[in-house]
Amino acid sequence: MIEALRAGVQAAWRLRALVALLLASNLAAAGLLAVPLALVLERDLTSRGAAPHLVEGFDYDWWLRFSNDCDFGTSFGPEMLGAGFAFRNVDLLLRGELPGRLFSNEDAAPSGAEPLVLGLGAAYLLLQATLAGGILAALRAPRGGFALRAFAHACGLYLGPIARVTLLALALDAFVFLLDLPLAAWCDSRARESLTEATALAWSFGRHAALLAALLAVHVLSGYAKALVVLEDRRSASLALLSALGFVLGRVRLVAGHFLAIGLLGLALLATFVAADGLLPVTGYRTQLLAFALMQSFVALRIALRLALAGGQLHLLRRLR
Amino acid sequence: MPAAYPLPAVPERSPRIASYTIAARLDEGEHALLGRLLLEWRNTSETAVAELPFHLYWNAFRNNLSSSARGDGPRAARFRMDRDFGETRPTRVTLVGPPDVDLTPGLRYVDADGDNPDDRTVAIVPLPRPIPPGEGARLRIEWTSRIPYGAVGRAGWIHDYFFVVQWFPKVGVLMKDGTWKAHAFHSTTEFFSDYGNYDVRLTVPERYVVGATGRQTDSTPNADGTKTLRFVQEDVHDFAWTACPRFLERRTRFESAGYPPVEIRLLLMPEHASLEQRYLDATALALRAYGAWSTPYPYFQVTVVDPAWYSASGGMEYPTLFTGGAHLWSPPDLLSPEGVTVHEAGHQFWYGLVANDEFEEAWLDEGINQYFEDRTLDLAYGPAAFGVRYFGGKDQRDRRRGIPVIAPGVFTRRGDEDRRDLRRYGRQDPLVRRAWEYQTKDSYYLNAYSKPALVFATLEGLLGADVMDRVWRTYARRFRFAHPTSADLIATVNEVTGQDWGWFFDQTFHSSALCDYAASVKQEESRVPRGFVDDRFVSLAAPKPEGAPKAWDAEVTFERRGEVRLPVDVRIEFEGGRILHDTWDGRDTFKRYAFRAGAKVRRAMVDAEGKLALDVDRSNNVWRDEDGIARRAALKWSARYLFWLQTLLELHTVLG
Repeated sequence: MIEALRAGVQAAWRLRALVALLLASNLAAAGLLAVPLALVLERDLTSRGAAPHLVEGFDYDWWLRFSNDCDFGTSFGPEMLGAGFAFRNVDLLLRGELPGRLFSNEDAAPSGAEPLVLGLGAAYLLLQATLAGGILAALRAPRGGFALRAFAHACGLYLGPIARVTLLALALDAFVFLLDLPLAAWCDSRARESLTEATALAWSFGRHAALLAALLAVHVLSGYAKALVVLEDRRSASLALLSALGFVLGRVRLVAGHFLAIGLLGLALLATFVAADGLLPVTGYRTQLLAFALMQSFVALRIALRLALAGGQLHLLRRLR
Repeated sequence: MPAAYPLPAVPERSPRIASYTIAARLDEGEHALLGRLLLEWRNTSETAVAELPFHLYWNAFRNNLSSSARGDGPRAARFRMDRDFGETRPTRVTLVGPPDVDLTPGLRYVDADGDNPDDRTVAIVPLPRPIPPGEGARLRIEWTSRIPYGAVGRAGWIHDYFFVVQWFPKVGVLMKDGTWKAHAFHSTTEFFSDYGNYDVRLTVPERYVVGATGRQTDSTPNADGTKTLRFVQEDVHDFAWTACPRFLERRTRFESAGYPPVEIRLLLMPEHASLEQRYLDATALALRAYGAWSTPYPYFQVTVVDPAWYSASGGMEYPTLFTGGAHLWSPPDLLSPEGVTVHEAGHQFWYGLVANDEFEEAWLDEGINQYFEDRTLDLAYGPAAFGVRYFGGKDQRDRRRGIPVIAPGVFTRRGDEDRRDLRRYGRQDPLVRRAWEYQTKDSYYLNAYSKPALVFATLEGLLGADVMDRVWRTYARRFRFAHPTSADLIATVNEVTGQDWGWFFDQTFHSSALCDYAASVKQEESRVPRGFVDDRFVSLAAPKPEGAPKAWDAEVTFERRGEVRLPVDVRIEFEGGRILHDTWDGRDTFKRYAFRAGAKVRRAMVDAEGKLALDVDRSNNVWRDEDGIARRAALKWSARYLFWLQTLLELHTVLG
């Protein structure tokens, strides 16, 4: 497991240019909504007394009015500050809002993320499915850096089977959410009937943890299937998924341990970011630039961890199959 | 205000119109109550009374046809299972003689508000002969009750936790003119009843810890494994109690110079033991602050109840007893349970001691109390942090539970959320409306809580805190035990200030109009004369000497965008430090100041000190000369939004 972890991290380091490319694609996609928001914010704040408050901190009274009046950017709010962004994202995931409200329960309360954001997420998922072949092909190479032409070629070469794996994985996710409906209802009723709040919270946390674990299991399975597509030039997505299932079931502890190790690295990254972010008061352009660099470093490292996970999975497949 | 305005004397005792001696037994297994009461009632009106109306509140849970069940809101009766049903059934009503007269056959249920004949929350008992003014009657009532499940409404049982309120047949309130106030129990209404003395004996299983209105004077063990506790309290208008074997009991004594001492008894769920001191401190804070701003709490004790998980009994007030409400994880910055504790403890001073009609004028209690709560919390704790809870599901009122995540550097200040609600629902209803007649439940909550709190904060801004406190002290003293109305409050304001404030209350209490003032500025460098000046064509003036300061032409406009007209301070700041102050009466839709060839306007502000809490959009109160700060703020926050989006997009790779 340690070897896979090391191989993955080394591959991610080797492919720094690829990380930069993926960061650029991520930044460009997010910019599609963030730039218009910047314009809306500037228009709203021009000559207004709230502007200096927002430079020094956050003006809650202004935000309550802005979020109520503004059709665009309703998901812009204080819950994304500190560690809140991570909680909010996982909450959206577990509500079935991602991608494009595909798995959400119609009866569920609105999540606060507008359709534009969720639609952009769905488009991003498609983009990443398109790029996955190129990423895995680059990781597959034992050494050498990142070559754009080879990357583009591999993206096209593996697009079909990888897109099919993605669709199958989404179907599995849908099945997970379908199973979660009665489970959630049952857990919620147990929570309501609990004698104490602690027991009720245990039921609620338990059901959220189970759903998250199931989604991550599908993610791991899909990751190995995509790696197999690239490693063994598979054309059949379903057979690749079955092979991945066989591989994972044969080495559950190893596979889970590897994924958990990457997950822990992710949590450590999050904790470091939150601590550093808290120490950085953002007021002038210089501190804004520093904060921007910090945030982009976090996203780049998050992408690098994705690559490290895929690299480790390729390593395990190569060594153990 | 007159220089030495005397405060009225505080009445020492209530008129004691309706006094109850009650004996009740709790059947823990059947979730039932068996009760017997003796009502001693006096006719203080000017007309003879031929019948008595009684509230039977738990009949709101009798079936899905009741007014409460047909209503909307978090306290509305809802039925998922058999256990959710509850009722109060009088089995015998006797006029105590001699000779005793059985009134049971004449008892009939009435459609008290003329909107639901199926509702059984008010019953009329005809009397054999009218009771003349000044005389009284004694009625013995026996009844049985099925206790509803406690996840809805206010009363009920959950596991071994019993919260027993509005539980006995309670007589309505007779007004001086001989009309009865006895409304049906709707989903949004609260309560109204007369003062009296209560002497209550409760029989419960031995292992139960019991909290109740009043002081406990006796505890007698019974042979059947139960015990009978006696509670006595004078000069209150209701009696509530709770029982649970899991309660942790904590006591402390509130003592402060100028205040009578008060025993604070806290009944706490074991899992909230760590919140003990915060509950006690918040209660003491309310006793001190409300006592200072109105009149000190006169009773010997107050009981604070931390409700059981999933009970809807939290956040409610009863005479000398109230409920808080807490989360397992309660970071101090979120001010929970402090907020609810101060609010419910504060009700003791308004609901408890002046006791207006909450059916017809909910704002008079809730609104004043909300204003005091905001003021108290602001003074003692400062603004609360902003937080969201995750992954813990919802409670019975659909509020999120779970891990609290606090947004660093974000604070909710006094009135922020009230103003949001005023913007959203303010046009639906005038504030003055009977509680069940608002368009929506949101409008009820706005007009009962948020808007009156803003109205009183605005009045405080216009009068000054000292005069406002004088108003509250006068009102609290004069109307102690007296069931005041809005008219009484307005009369008190007029009397204390020596002015007629009807124009203010007409716009805020009796209207759904909104208040919004805004500032804007147009300015340009003073024009160089071209064209005809003094009948002489001027093509170009002499060039300005080098180094001379630029001159500016400016038009500063203060607008009244809402319909509410209030006097407001305006302030204009110029480059070089000159400041212009003025007061605008707000009668016209705008007031404009024009300046020619002067200094550049740096800032223009309307209501710079934030006196008009009712102003629904404070973000347009300040105009400032744009110096790039809006762009800096927009970049800062859109970068944060960008980052959130980036992480959200990246999370999508977990799927597919």
